[in-house]
Amino acid sequence: MVLSQKLHEAFKGTVERITSPRTVSAFKEKGVLSVNEFIIAGDNLVSKCPTWSWESGEPSKRKPYLPAEKQFLITRNVPCLRRAASVEEEYEAAGGEVLLDNEDDDGWLATHGKPRETKQDEDENLPSMENLEISKQSGIQSIPSYFGGDEEEDIPDMAEFNDPDNLIETDPATLQSTYLVAHEPDDDIILRTRTYDVSITYDKYYQTPRVWLTGYDESRMLLKPELVLEDVSQDHARKTVTIEDHPHLPGKHASVHPCRHGAVMKKIIDVLMSRGVEPEVDKYLFLFLKFMASVIPTIEYDYTMDFDLGSSSNS
Amino acid sequence: MEEEKRPILQFAPFQSVVDEGFWHRLSSLKLNELGIDDSPIPISGFYAPCSHPQVSNHLTLLSESLPSEASEKSSTSHGNRNRCWVPGTLYNTNTLETYHGLDKQALLKAEAKKIWDDIHSGKAVEDSTLLSRFLLISYADLKKWSFHYWFAFPALVLEPAATLNDIKPASQWFSSKEAESLSAACNEWRQMTATADVPFFLVSVKSDSSVSLRPLKDWELCDGDGQQVFVVGFYDPCHLPNNPGWPLRNLLALIAARWNINKVRFLCYRENRGFADLGLSLVGEALVSVPTGWRDHDCVPTAVGWELNRSKKGSRCISLAKTMDPTRLVVTAA
Repeated sequence: MVLSQKLHEAFKGTVERITSPRTVSAFKEKGVLSVNEFIIAGDNLVSKCPTWSWESGEPSKRKPYLPAEKQFLITRNVPCLRRAASVEEEYEAAGGEVLLDNEDDDGWLATHGKPRETKQDEDENLPSMENLEISKQSGIQSIPSYFGGDEEEDIPDMAEFNDPDNLIETDPATLQSTYLVAHEPDDDIILRTRTYDVSITYDKYYQTPRVWLTGYDESRMLLKPELVLEDVSQDHARKTVTIEDHPHLPGKHASVHPCRHGAVMKKIIDVLMSRGVEPEVDKYLFLFLKFMASVIPTIEYDYTMDFDLGSSSNS
Repeated sequence: MEEEKRPILQFAPFQSVVDEGFWHRLSSLKLNELGIDDSPIPISGFYAPCSHPQVSNHLTLLSESLPSEASEKSSTSHGNRNRCWVPGTLYNTNTLETYHGLDKQALLKAEAKKIWDDIHSGKAVEDSTLLSRFLLISYADLKKWSFHYWFAFPALVLEPAATLNDIKPASQWFSSKEAESLSAACNEWRQMTATADVPFFLVSVKSDSSVSLRPLKDWELCDGDGQQVFVVGFYDPCHLPNNPGWPLRNLLALIAARWNINKVRFLCYRENRGFADLGLSLVGEALVSVPTGWRDHDCVPTAVGWELNRSKKGSRCISLAKTMDPTRLVVTAA
């Protein structure tokens, strides 16, 4: 971690400890959420999009201002079929404007995402889909290992253990090699399907939700957080998306830094209000997840929004 | 012999996913409580029906899969709709040599016998979660923070194998009226706390096209009731368009061993965005010949199910040195 980032974390932690959580609503004025509003919005997300659930996480990391069984929201096993980096390349090659042309007629996402100025330097060290395909060859030889780069020699090769104990199960009812059978001839597509656990925590300092990503590779082994950055819009990778400790789970996870979330949500809410829609706080996470989709465009989490955003629904 | 022409019903193997939290908790258990005690530990796995046309769901292990440490207050509520509970057993060895020396066949057989016993005693009919079990062998190298492990999902093998008469999307199998009623019934089943994580069930189709979901045990109550057609259903983690997932195997074994039925119609229940998707869900009809000797409780059927790793059988290894290094942990704990 960079020193400045560390200092900021320490500062933020202290502020969080000594300030009491927000209780007065400032949702329309500042685009932020009180703890109660986060629970209300989370409950609504779970009921409309049941792939999301509340979880309690590590007991030692539990936040006292949140109910024990509603510490954070999570949706698991979300497919990510393509790398955001390569999608953007294709998009730009086709003359598209990154992030601006978003099927939304109102274009309110454009205020946050800017067309990128340079791309050469970043592109060189970010593996594209093509690179991955090449590395696939070597990847298959050894057992995938998380963070295993510098200890490769310690990781035994799978071949060594190939069946010393007569485990050859000649069972005609076992479907062999799921992906290849299902998707021939273009089994590549399925081999490259990563999955993500996407979680949303409440950031007490910024008073907004915060998104965390845990990636799994094609064989469902943990993905290094660095590789997660391939699935982040390149305008955000390494800038607004950073790798940090998860507030409720062990380990390092990629996260979309919440420092601008309030401001962007405020803009979204203003646009809605200018169109005569009175936004309701229980819809906050749907708006928020739609905004997050500009940062992680290829991770197909659910935020179905086929109901009126503002006027009260019968939920 | 027309049966011989029919294809063998093939099941897509279960896949495992282990959350990093599981290894963290295992290390801490090992250091703080277990010491060199290597007796088997009951653990919990979780799965959910497939919820996307392009990816299968998995058996997931989380930190909550392990028993909580005595020092912590336990508040693990078992399942919810996205976490259907699967009972498992962990054999964590003290050395790499013991790990490689484990008699994997015997361990698999022991786990399969639990399923077999529950089928015979009727416990698996009362509590269908007992039909799926799993087994995890591991060696935690706490000096290097690396973990060797291998999963098995024991499945009782029908000999001869079941054959497939037909399999197609549920939306094509049922009339549109039935399909509508089935979707509603499934969504209701998945919403109720009491049933949301019950992975095996009966689908009862009445002559007036109304469909309801009922617990497995209703089979024995309603058998012979000519008013309804039964289809057995299960939460299918698999996404493939022509194959059911692994959990169906032990359900078929139960049906063959207990109910002595030769023609079984089954529903592979799958979802999209958290709701019933009958285009993705499958209905199939399998022909099962009850293996000779299955009526005899003492004859435990053959079991298979060691997990494949990239299409091959093999142990896996994960290194978490960078997130578990004690010096770093001290810094964050401060």
